[in-house]
Amino acid sequence: MSSEGTVVGVERLEKVYGGSIHAVDSISFEVGRGEIFGFLGPNGAGKTTTISILTTQTLPTGGKAEVLGHDVVKEPSRVRKGIGLVPQELTVDDELTGRENMELQGSLYGVPYSEAKKRIDELLELVKLADSAHRYVKTYSGGMKKRLELAEGLIHRPEVLFLDEPTLGLDIQTRTSMWEHINKLKKETNMTIFLTTHYLEEADTLCDRIGIIDHGKVIALDTPAGLKKAVGGDVIEVEVAECDEDILEMIRNMPAVTLLDGVCSGNRARLKVPDSNFSLPKILTNFIARNVQVVSVAVKKPSLDQAFLEFTGRELRDDESSSGNEKADPGARKGRFRRRR
Amino acid sequence: MIVEMVALIARDLKRWYRTPAQIILVFTTPLMWLLLFGQAFNIGRLAQIGDTGIDLRMVFGGATDYFSFMAVGQTAFIMLFASFFSGVSILWDRKFGFLSKLQVAPIPRTAIPLSRIISSLVKSMLQATVVIVLAASFVLIPGLSGLRFSSSFGVLDAAGLALFLILLGIGLAALFVALGLVVRNEETLFGLINLLNFPLMFTSSALIPITLMPDWLRTVALYNPITFVVDGMRQLVFGTSIGAEYSVATDLLGIGIFSALMIGLGAILARKALLRG
Ligand SMILES: Nc1ncnc2c1ncn2[C@@H]1O[C@H](COP(=O)(O)OP(=O)(O)OP(=O)(O)O)[C@@H](O)[C@H]1O
Ligand SMILES: [Mg+2]
Repeated sequence: MSSEGTVVGVERLEKVYGGSIHAVDSISFEVGRGEIFGFLGPNGAGKTTTISILTTQTLPTGGKAEVLGHDVVKEPSRVRKGIGLVPQELTVDDELTGRENMELQGSLYGVPYSEAKKRIDELLELVKLADSAHRYVKTYSGGMKKRLELAEGLIHRPEVLFLDEPTLGLDIQTRTSMWEHINKLKKETNMTIFLTTHYLEEADTLCDRIGIIDHGKVIALDTPAGLKKAVGGDVIEVEVAECDEDILEMIRNMPAVTLLDGVCSGNRARLKVPDSNFSLPKILTNFIARNVQVVSVAVKKPSLDQAFLEFTGRELRDDESSSGNEKADPGARKGRFRRRR
Repeated sequence: MIVEMVALIARDLKRWYRTPAQIILVFTTPLMWLLLFGQAFNIGRLAQIGDTGIDLRMVFGGATDYFSFMAVGQTAFIMLFASFFSGVSILWDRKFGFLSKLQVAPIPRTAIPLSRIISSLVKSMLQATVVIVLAASFVLIPGLSGLRFSSSFGVLDAAGLALFLILLGIGLAALFVALGLVVRNEETLFGLINLLNFPLMFTSSALIPITLMPDWLRTVALYNPITFVVDGMRQLVFGTSIGAEYSVATDLLGIGIFSALMIGLGAILARKALLRG
């Protein structure tokens, strides 16, 4: 199924839990050598489940997945030799020191001791833990543990590295330096990286290609630029003193302007235009001519944020805050989804 | 396979000896049992008070006093507890994600339970040694009796003693580690282990002389793996087959069969538990 440069090949992959939970719902994609490929999706989208299948921890219920040319179901030990995983949940051992954790990882991955020693020093330096390496991990902060986890995943220089939410819980500084490390890795070693995230900015800065995943399905797959282009224009958010049907009708009649959502929300109307630089003056002129009091105007250039909204019908942030009841009301979500498209 | 096994065993042992509470327990637990149970529960006195003329060696598996008798049983008891903690530790490893780290690593699946069994054995053997040394050194304390070895006790007997304990330790660790892998809930695991520990301990001749048991219990005790171990060990320690249930060779065979069965059962359970879901 895969061509020469394909490192991860997934075809109609499926994981159904308990007969009814479609954690991964027939997804297909390929990741090429040296590529940073990202899965972007909200909580419960199926990101970890996909990684878990690709890293031979979980068996798929359908479809096919190959990593480095080996079937993850039939040849798990071959797959394991070539991959590294930095899991979402921390797995470092609290009762060992940072260095001991690294040494253990080196032994588990068959790195010769003298070589491991060298790499451990390098990696601890890289994740800025060299000074804390002798301390027990139970004295580390959450971010330090996460960085140690990343260093562990790199000790055997895997051909493919799986990063499940690599910067979850890190502060902005650490996150940025983590991004630098990941980019550096890619440049220097041509390592293939598969990462998952629900941070748009992370996907945007790091990934060569992004798959947007929601409810177990890949609903869009493109370069960050390509995804933004698919949004097809800017969004202008106009806040008026009082929104009514007349104003909405006026907007609908403006040339080259699409009223998003169909209604105002909190006296705000969202307008989509091909180019805001050009349209904004005209739109405002129209409002003023009709004596509509404009309170504020915001312009959103195409961002991944918007692409996400466009494809999933909701903002990623919304979902994070209400992740508790994500499964509660699928109908409502579908409705919104259709309306927006 | 060797390198990763050694690394995993070292990790288990580090976690153990670096916990001060664990080390304190290694000494205090046997001390408590030996002192409070072994010394206080001196049922040998009964026979002396009654002046029954019974050869106490018939009752105490070759020992002339209850303390020596129970001190040997105590080693088996400690093996049981040490092994059960190893089973529990693997469940914690699952909880904290360490087990999934091992499952992703390019190591043979067997290395996972096997390394745990070996680290368990190291711990339990050390603790059994502590029991023996403590029990023997009681003689130095005025007013206490110690574990009395036969004067003919030699290197071969010591090796035999170790062999009995090792076989028991492997069998028990195989069983508990497999349970720790299969059972995913602590309460269930603790309940299950209790369900096994109590009868294993108290239907054996580890602490209670078999001759004092009612018939039905004696029948059970005769097939308890711990009985084979303590029966064999007592013959080596006290240098006599007086009061023994089986020959040393039969005892070895008995515990050998138990160990083999547990390894087989453990392998089946562990394989099932480590399969991908
Ligand atoms: N072992 C399991 N048994 C049953 N359902 C599961 C299991 N693991 C995951 N799921 C379900 O599968 C879906 C996908 O979960 P997954 O962990 O892959 O999401 P995710 O995209 O990684 O989310 P997050 O951003 O929260 O980490 C969820 O609905 C989850 O409840
Ligand atoms: Mg996840």
